[in-house]
Amino acid sequence: MSGNNVNRRDFLKILGWGGVGVAVAGCDRPTTVTLEEGKEEVVAYLQPEEYVIPGVGVWFASTCQQCPAGCGVHGRVREGRVLKMEGNPDSPINYGKLCQMGQAGLQGHYNPDRLKKPLLRKGGALTEVSWEEAMAQLDQKVGIASGLNGERFAWFTGTVSGHQSVLLSAHLASMGSKNHFVHEVINDAVVRAVNQDMLGEAAPRYLLDQAKVVLSFGADFVGAGASPVYFANSYAKFRTATPRGVLIQVEPKMTLTGGSADLWVAIRPGTEGVLALGIANYLTTNGVDASGLPESLRALISGYGPDKVSKITGVSADRVARIAALLKDRSPSLVLAGASAEGHAHGYQSVAAITLLNILLGNVGKTIVPSGASQFPQMEAKPGNTRDLLAFANAAEQKALDVVFFHGANPVYTAPAALGLAEKIKNIPFKVAFSCFPDETAMSADLVLPILSAHEDWGTHMGVYQPEQKSISIQQPLMEPIYPDSKGFGDLLLVMLKARKVTGFDGFEDYYAYLKSAFAALPASVKGDAVSDEDFWGKTLQKGIVKVATVGGSLSTKAIEINLPEFKEDSSRPYHLVPSARLGMWDGRHANLPWLQEAPDQISKVVWTSWVEVHPQTAAKLGVKEGDFIKVASEHGAVEAQVYIYKGVHPDVIAVPMGQGHEEYGRYAKGRGVNPLKVLAPATDAKTGELALYATRVTATHAGRRELLVKLMGNETQLGRKMVATVKAEVFNRTEGGKDVA
Amino acid sequence: MSVVYSFFSGWVDRSGASIGGRLPGYLMALMGVVAMMVLAASPAHADVPNAVPPKGEHQGKHVEQPIEFPHDIHANVNKINCMYCHTYARRSKVAGIPPTSKCMGCHMVIATDKPRIKKLTEYWEKREPPRWKKVHDVPDFVHFTHEKHLKRFVFDNQGMEVEKVSEVCAFCHGEVKKMTVAEKVKPLNMGFCARCHEANKGPFDCWKCHK
Repeated sequence: MSGNNVNRRDFLKILGWGGVGVAVAGCDRPTTVTLEEGKEEVVAYLQPEEYVIPGVGVWFASTCQQCPAGCGVHGRVREGRVLKMEGNPDSPINYGKLCQMGQAGLQGHYNPDRLKKPLLRKGGALTEVSWEEAMAQLDQKVGIASGLNGERFAWFTGTVSGHQSVLLSAHLASMGSKNHFVHEVINDAVVRAVNQDMLGEAAPRYLLDQAKVVLSFGADFVGAGASPVYFANSYAKFRTATPRGVLIQVEPKMTLTGGSADLWVAIRPGTEGVLALGIANYLTTNGVDASGLPESLRALISGYGPDKVSKITGVSADRVARIAALLKDRSPSLVLAGASAEGHAHGYQSVAAITLLNILLGNVGKTIVPSGASQFPQMEAKPGNTRDLLAFANAAEQKALDVVFFHGANPVYTAPAALGLAEKIKNIPFKVAFSCFPDETAMSADLVLPILSAHEDWGTHMGVYQPEQKSISIQQPLMEPIYPDSKGFGDLLLVMLKARKVTGFDGFEDYYAYLKSAFAALPASVKGDAVSDEDFWGKTLQKGIVKVATVGGSLSTKAIEINLPEFKEDSSRPYHLVPSARLGMWDGRHANLPWLQEAPDQISKVVWTSWVEVHPQTAAKLGVKEGDFIKVASEHGAVEAQVYIYKGVHPDVIAVPMGQGHEEYGRYAKGRGVNPLKVLAPATDAKTGELALYATRVTATHAGRRELLVKLMGNETQLGRKMVATVKAEVFNRTEGGKDVA
Repeated sequence: MSVVYSFFSGWVDRSGASIGGRLPGYLMALMGVVAMMVLAASPAHADVPNAVPPKGEHQGKHVEQPIEFPHDIHANVNKINCMYCHTYARRSKVAGIPPTSKCMGCHMVIATDKPRIKKLTEYWEKREPPRWKKVHDVPDFVHFTHEKHLKRFVFDNQGMEVEKVSEVCAFCHGEVKKMTVAEKVKPLNMGFCARCHEANKGPFDCWKCHK
């Protein structure tokens, strides 16, 4: 460069401009992605609706159907396609917010594996048939002429509510049957039973935002809980209050809620009730008045001194005392129970001991208040459970059923292998699945009727947990059906009711007409300022939510007898299996949605597959590293998946997430990962009969092979990059009051 | 901060402050000549004030359409405003193909004996819109909006008469009023867009188009 007049600075500039010149020239080249003329079609509307402007989205109100919470949604519709979901701000459940599952509902709607034609089992294989043939077959089996004895007919569904529930009940009544099995793996059936017995209401309102301390025994309320978006909102208020609320989470495997807690405590599975009694022991010996409790309970509490509790639960006596002292000092508090406390043979007893803390601490009436019932009990959500799954398996085994209709549940996938459901349902001669997808249950049915997706169908819903404002949320089509050969669930119910010659339904051409008429028949108090029925219907569709009155609602405090068993270790199967649930995969129903497969697990960051979460100590004992395949075997089967090592599990626990391991259910779900529900022992809670999901003992052994575990975050440390700011404990104690926490 | 290059002051940010050195003189001179040549080749457009029409040609091909729609009869002979049929252009990112009902609004009574109108009526009676072939398009990664361009060149443009909107449409679509069915006569690629944005002081951030 020294030989001419261009200095280094100018040279770089010229070089820079040369680069720009190349770029600009590049811009002028015809690109391969510019669409060639005349290749694509563009079709105008024949006669557009007045509000339609191509390229501009219109938002319609509807209801999310991804879990039983029943959040209100808005769907953005453009050129006849629904493109984006958001929360409906008018919904008293989600207040305009929506979780990842709600967002991913679109992928269920546009799923390439949706059922397109009715399928009928002919000579052992499901074959496409016309609707005429399908309905003729249905009429032959369950029509009036079939002579079917009503009690031998059953509906097996997930959580149902609203007018679908009303019609379904009417259909069941017309068949002369009472068999309605309502099944959800993720449920709070045991907590509901305890609440009913001790507080007088199954689902009272928890005022999380009023509590100064929340002690949660495995209640994953912001994750896989009864109403995650509702509780996330309450939780945000709780955490931003002054003074800031403190959350203590006690559980065997860290959930999303546990990950958000100020203090996370690992506990030996099944000993939650013991810890609760240990805390009660501290409270009663430190001045909390227990004179209202029966003598037997006071004696029980006094038997759970610090040393005994610490020995059983694995939580140090010092820590138990500090948690109890915090609860005593900061009133009002709130104590919650969740899946990991419920899921044992003594689940009811543990939850009762946990609920007893609320009574002792005087939280009932302060942070637990009545929720009441809606003025339309027939439309309220029927919450699902696992008791009905067991009852159904039993009925199938006893050959007590001739015809069963499935909707919104996939028992063939969720039932533990030990129940032998896949074999037992072969005793049912005619199984009908009303389904969008070829899931395990549909594929083992004899007749599969393809129904409209949640974004195409009409319906009304009431959320399974409506603590603040009872409301009916409308579900309206956000677009025309993608597959013209699928039918609305409500429409099919109506057709079946007409076929059974039930009076009162003849006048309705379709489910839409029925709904419109049902809304016109609502009492004036619900209709607000609407000037006519048409006006009310229009406003309902626009707003998406109809608020209804609450009736009743009062809480009592009744201490019941608690009976916790002796805890025994099982040296032949040293580990406890935790089939963990998460917001995303849920109980496995979302495994066919690529967005949710791709969304990493909130704790492990793993995508697209199953993994086995083990504590570092356990991993060292087993001699496994991350990515090693490990065989987790119970008395009833074994699963193999890759190890993920994490401190957020109790050393005695092996956690395998629910949701994968599908044998059917389309291209994104099938043959991916493992299903821990399959290896569960069929133990039940002694009091409620609920499946004890957390009560299975397993062995764990190295399976002798390894692969890279695919997860979003390759490293557990920040490698000194300060991506997440941290403060020293003494600074935290000084500025955030952290000394009170642990 | 958005940065543009000015011939007179080198690299400047939006506030006009110079943030870098100027180019060497010989390069400046060369670019000046190029700029003059460009300007000489493009006299200010007579019908659209405050606008420098984009440069660039494309040899489009004649696309066979379900109906040989005569833009010339509508826009040139009968002087129908483009936005009468492409009514979404000023409201949306897409101009929109007019709905069949719009065609039939006139052709229930006008020229009903002509073969093309008979074919259109057939579509209407079958309740089926014609399946037109797309002629003008940009890739999915380009955000283009008709609404904003019409705002800049027509509705917010001092001295611009809405009646002459076809002159603005012609910037990118050519003289459609001399054609029957539309033909692509402008390249509609990034260079074409970028030069026009530069000449008309349009937004120049990457994300304006590549959202």
